[in-house]
Amino acid sequence: MKFTKILIGLIAVGLMFSLNSCGKKETGPIKIGVLLPLTGHQANFGTMEKNSYELAKEEINAKGGINGRKLEFVYEDDTGKPDVGRSAAEKLINVDKVPMIAGGYSSSVTFAAAAVAQQYRTPFLVNTGSVDKITQPEDFNLTVNDGDKFYIYRMNPPVSEYASGLESLLSEVVKPKSVYIIHENTAFGTKGAKSFAKTAKKLGIEVLGQQQYSAGTVDFKPLLLNAKKANPDMVYMISYVMDAALLMKQAREINFTTPKLYVGAGAGFTMPAFKENAGKASDHVVSATLWHQTLPIKGAKEYYDNYVKKYGGDGPDYHGAEAYSAAYVVADVLTRCKGDYSKETIKKALDNTDMMTVFGPVKFVSYGKKIHQNKMKTYVVQWINGELKLVWPKNLANAKFEYPIDWKKVWAE
Amino acid sequence: MELFLQTLIGGLLIGGLYAIIGIGMTLIMGVLGIINLAHGQIMMVGMYLAWLFWMAFGLDPYLSLFLAVPLVFLLGIFLSKYLLYPLIEKDSILPENQVLMTVGIGMVLVELARFIFSSDYRSVKTSYSDKTIMLGNISLSWPLVIAFVIAILLTLGLFWLLIKTDLGRSIRATAQDRDAATLMGISSKRITILTYGIGSGLVGAAGILLLPIYYLFPDVGPIFTVKAFVITILGGLGSPIGAIAGGIVLGIAETFGATYISMGYRDAVGLVIFLLVLVFLPGGLKQIFKI
Repeated sequence: MKFTKILIGLIAVGLMFSLNSCGKKETGPIKIGVLLPLTGHQANFGTMEKNSYELAKEEINAKGGINGRKLEFVYEDDTGKPDVGRSAAEKLINVDKVPMIAGGYSSSVTFAAAAVAQQYRTPFLVNTGSVDKITQPEDFNLTVNDGDKFYIYRMNPPVSEYASGLESLLSEVVKPKSVYIIHENTAFGTKGAKSFAKTAKKLGIEVLGQQQYSAGTVDFKPLLLNAKKANPDMVYMISYVMDAALLMKQAREINFTTPKLYVGAGAGFTMPAFKENAGKASDHVVSATLWHQTLPIKGAKEYYDNYVKKYGGDGPDYHGAEAYSAAYVVADVLTRCKGDYSKETIKKALDNTDMMTVFGPVKFVSYGKKIHQNKMKTYVVQWINGELKLVWPKNLANAKFEYPIDWKKVWAE
Repeated sequence: MELFLQTLIGGLLIGGLYAIIGIGMTLIMGVLGIINLAHGQIMMVGMYLAWLFWMAFGLDPYLSLFLAVPLVFLLGIFLSKYLLYPLIEKDSILPENQVLMTVGIGMVLVELARFIFSSDYRSVKTSYSDKTIMLGNISLSWPLVIAFVIAILLTLGLFWLLIKTDLGRSIRATAQDRDAATLMGISSKRITILTYGIGSGLVGAAGILLLPIYYLFPDVGPIFTVKAFVITILGGLGSPIGAIAGGIVLGIAETFGATYISMGYRDAVGLVIFLLVLVFLPGGLKQIFKI
């Protein structure tokens, strides 16, 4: 008798709990983690991306959010350091219990965080971290056939493809015979330099030298003097923003006027801060880019204008566009989850992503050693009279490619 | 030969700046007996002040030395009087914990700067920022030359203070033996606080001298904290002459490493020298000079 009573009591309690969890409809915001460098050396980029996530979030929520629930981003600061990035990703997954992570700025940090996401089987939508191995399953002890076990997805092209838009410009217009490569000694810089050296070989351009430096250097003159001595037709630089500005400023100071072209590999060279800090020395510098606000993509210009309206300043470059679009991909994926926001459902929805963003079409495909990689074109921009203009490919350009360049004249007071 | 000379002179000029960054730290090390891990961060404050004066009133960074350095000096006084000295006074608080306090001060300064100025990169553009002097085929950056000259003047001024004045003698006495100095009637509290202020002012001045050629953001400090630390050890703890030698050695070694080995190993070169000095010359360069 007593036993039955206890049993009934237990069942009742159990029922209450189960009813509770079934009946309670979740109405709070859906939280998604975003990993960005908000302090430290790369904070300038991180802030631009965070602003863009916020801008997108407000628009998404104003339009009714995700299936009636609000979208919320939980930001975690990786400070630009891989170890901090790792623990930040762990915090997002274990403490904030987000079912998905977005963001990822620097290559080294993103790769470290990706390992965490993979370990906890949490989908990670990378928007900037560009070193190739991030979407190569073999670097995570998987094979290309393990798509169902691989949780990393990437929107931006890998660094080895950043210069693809540049290739035709070089082979058709500039035709340089030699190149000198200067790069930061990080994963992004080293891998980018390696793949550009390969590209140069393919195009028949001789690589006269390849020099690295560590971020935050005060005096680049030793390096630039070595480059000047080699007398290259073209200088190719892979740098974050202030190193980029100092490189150009000091190239001007030592009268390094012989190259036909100074080319940046995206990253720092397209940022407004590059122009502000390099001043005159930034003029006519060419850079690879992934996006430009004048591209014929629906919403690109609106995003650019809205950003300037909200945050002021010079407006975002491709980094902002990546982040803004990533937020829309997140919203699209979650909407297609139809109420079940578990990691597995989100992953399946990510697999089926096929949408248009201000950054261009987003679809995760497999090719070569990579899976879950969005394929896209890259473009070439040039700083002309203090404005970043799209100069290549020709049919999309909004300004004439200024070439040949007389550096003595451009750099004159 | 040309490249060699360019490298040597470039290294020397940078070394001059490193020297005054190092002297500030070594003074603090001598008197307070702690490594000031907020050193670069205090430099950052000086840089922001100079940048502010430049933005607001168009004041030339070299002129704002007269305005910003006293402010940084006062900041140093404030920090040491209310945050560091109370810890030094208590014997139960180990020196390691006083060092932790400087780490905390550094963090607060950085985050305050981020709060006020955001993470944007700033730089000061003056008419002479990009000017160079050509000596034959060697190009010298004009701001760097001015910085070097001012650095020398500052150092001479400091030595005059240390050697000729009562205050300077008190500082040296306190650095040599705090208890004995106290017994001789020196207020070690006052000296401790003043020394931290002077050290802060010096590194603030170094930051302002660097401003026309470098750039500024809240996290600019730690790079220079590390440099100052290396210089201090190189020169020998607490020795201003050693810090000058250490700064110049570091500047030249880094630049030569950058030119002839690889720019990527620039910091490595500095740290290798640091290790070699620790192993073979544990007292630093001051062992050679005996000062």
